[in-house]
Amino acid sequence: MKHFNILIVAVLVILILASLTMYTVDQRQNAMVFQLGEVVAVDKQPGLYFKLPLVQNVRYFDTRVLTLDPAEPDRFITSEKKNVLVDYFAKWRIIDIRQYYVSVGGDETRAQTRLQQTINDGLRAEFGKRSVHDVVSGERDQIMATLRQKADQDARKIGVQVLDVRLKHVDLPQEVSESVYRRMEAERKRVANELRSTGSAEAEKIKADADRQRQVIIANAYRDAQAIKGEGDARASTIYATAYSKNPEFYAFYRSMDAYRQSFKSKSDVLVLEPNNAFFKYMKSPNAGK
Amino acid sequence: MAWNDPQWGKKNEGPPDLDELWRRFTARLKGLFGGRKTPGGNSGPNGFGAAGLGIVAAIIVAVWLASGFYIVNTGERGVVLRFGKFIETTQPGPNWHLPWPIESVQVVNIEQVRTVEIGYRNNVKNKMLKESLMLTDDENIIDIQFAVQYTLKDPEDYLFNNRSPDDAVRQVAESVMSEIVGKSKMDYVLYEGRADVAARATRHIQDALDRYKTGISISKVTMQNAQPPQEVQGAFDDAVKAGQDRERLKSEGQAYANDVIPKARGMAARLAEEAAGYKQSVIANAEGDASRFKQILVEYSKAPVVTRERMYQDMMQQVLSNTTKVLVDSSKGGNNLLYLPLDKLMHMSGQGTSPAPVMLDTTPKPGTAPTTQDDSHSRNTFRSRDREDRP
Repeated sequence: MKHFNILIVAVLVILILASLTMYTVDQRQNAMVFQLGEVVAVDKQPGLYFKLPLVQNVRYFDTRVLTLDPAEPDRFITSEKKNVLVDYFAKWRIIDIRQYYVSVGGDETRAQTRLQQTINDGLRAEFGKRSVHDVVSGERDQIMATLRQKADQDARKIGVQVLDVRLKHVDLPQEVSESVYRRMEAERKRVANELRSTGSAEAEKIKADADRQRQVIIANAYRDAQAIKGEGDARASTIYATAYSKNPEFYAFYRSMDAYRQSFKSKSDVLVLEPNNAFFKYMKSPNAGK
Repeated sequence: MAWNDPQWGKKNEGPPDLDELWRRFTARLKGLFGGRKTPGGNSGPNGFGAAGLGIVAAIIVAVWLASGFYIVNTGERGVVLRFGKFIETTQPGPNWHLPWPIESVQVVNIEQVRTVEIGYRNNVKNKMLKESLMLTDDENIIDIQFAVQYTLKDPEDYLFNNRSPDDAVRQVAESVMSEIVGKSKMDYVLYEGRADVAARATRHIQDALDRYKTGISISKVTMQNAQPPQEVQGAFDDAVKAGQDRERLKSEGQAYANDVIPKARGMAARLAEEAAGYKQSVIANAEGDASRFKQILVEYSKAPVVTRERMYQDMMQQVLSNTTKVLVDSSKGGNNLLYLPLDKLMHMSGQGTSPAPVMLDTTPKPGTAPTTQDDSHSRNTFRSRDREDRP
């Protein structure tokens, strides 16, 4: 019974002593040991450590990469006096905890505020030198590199390293966006009109070409047809000539007979005749011919 | 005693006495640790107590040691920390680590595909305009939705180097996409360059995440949607429609051409055929006329005077029988003033119902009407040359 009690007491004492003298540093942290307010050790490495009980106490700092991500995008003015809304984030981590503790009291929020001020200032300077186009596309890398450099320089003073500053969004304010939309619309309308008019122009071209082809085809056909007809006429002429030249005098008579017949064949043709006409000689006297 | 024994609860009324329970428990403990005052016990109470103590200690140690067993599933890795310091990464299977508080383990799934959605949540229709609207190089605004899929390549880095590695993926992805879009023309992002944009985004996101040593491996960036913003959607649709209209107009033009040209070819063929027909008919007519003339000529040569007279008489008869005649004898009366109602004659003959040819003498008097006769046998020596209408 006595042994049992002693054992329990011993275990308790060991535990209490251990909790007072031993501490561990996590892989994600660095620790700093204070002795009555004075920094006596900066333990960088994770693992198990010992300290004096009661007079020493330990503070931990997160050494992982942290993010500075402002909740609201900020307004900046570009060189052509246009407002842009910029959303960015920065990645930073503590590299010198003693410096960090001295400068910002180990307070993450204060460190963030400090960084944000530097970056905002840098952004204002960089944006003031550039146009919207440069900010959005042309010199984005340079801006980010410059900002990172500046922020890092400043951050070193508080024991912090800035790994990266990246522009997340560069947007136009709502009222400017509206005018951009109007412009985009106008542009599309231009494209649409162009498409439609080139379409009708092309259609017209095709139609005109078709009309031209038709005209050419018909004209060629007419030419060929006339040639063929001419051939026919020529042949006919030859035939007539050979036939009629056998007795031109009779042909003249024969042809005249036909022509008279053709010329006077309608009731509306009125002939005014004299009875002296040779045709009527028998009308006057049956013996006229003798 | 079973719980459902009707005798249950009747033995002692009311709740069980806590004091009683405690007393029993301590008594049992005393028994266990050799505090039991058994009369006639050969071993001393001390010896027996030490043995009991040993057993208990052994059990406790065994349980403690057993708590160090853990299982890592396929696709997972165990990350072992000793006093907070990273020691090793363990592979899938059963593993053991020194128990708490010396070592601890964190199991991380590295092969599970994790997804970050940017510009939307859960459904593409559920847009996050603040994330999705981006400025392009030509100062247009586009609306873009995409998802980033990633796995872990280094569980140690993933656990220890970043406070919120998964958030970092979102931040970096958003920033990279806005940068790529900012450097591209709108049409490129919207149409031809979508695959390229995704590929470039994958590369750049990976680069940045490697710089932060997140231990994350980007497997894919999938473009869900890249569109003009809602406000200008109409105009864009109209432009697409205009493209269709252009094609339609062109087709219509082509249709017209396809109608006109074959018709023209047809007409050309008709002209050619007609010309050929004309040629043959003209020649045939000529041959016919010539043949007729030659035959008459043969007969005429035999008796020219008679034939001539006959032909003349025939002609006169035919002409006179078909026309309106006015016979005026001017030789007797000299030059009498003669009035002919030509218009009336024309009118009468034009009516054709009761043609009344008039024969006038010096003194006008109604004459006998000769028989009218249609010239059924009239024929043309020369055919009229037919000409088509030209268009």
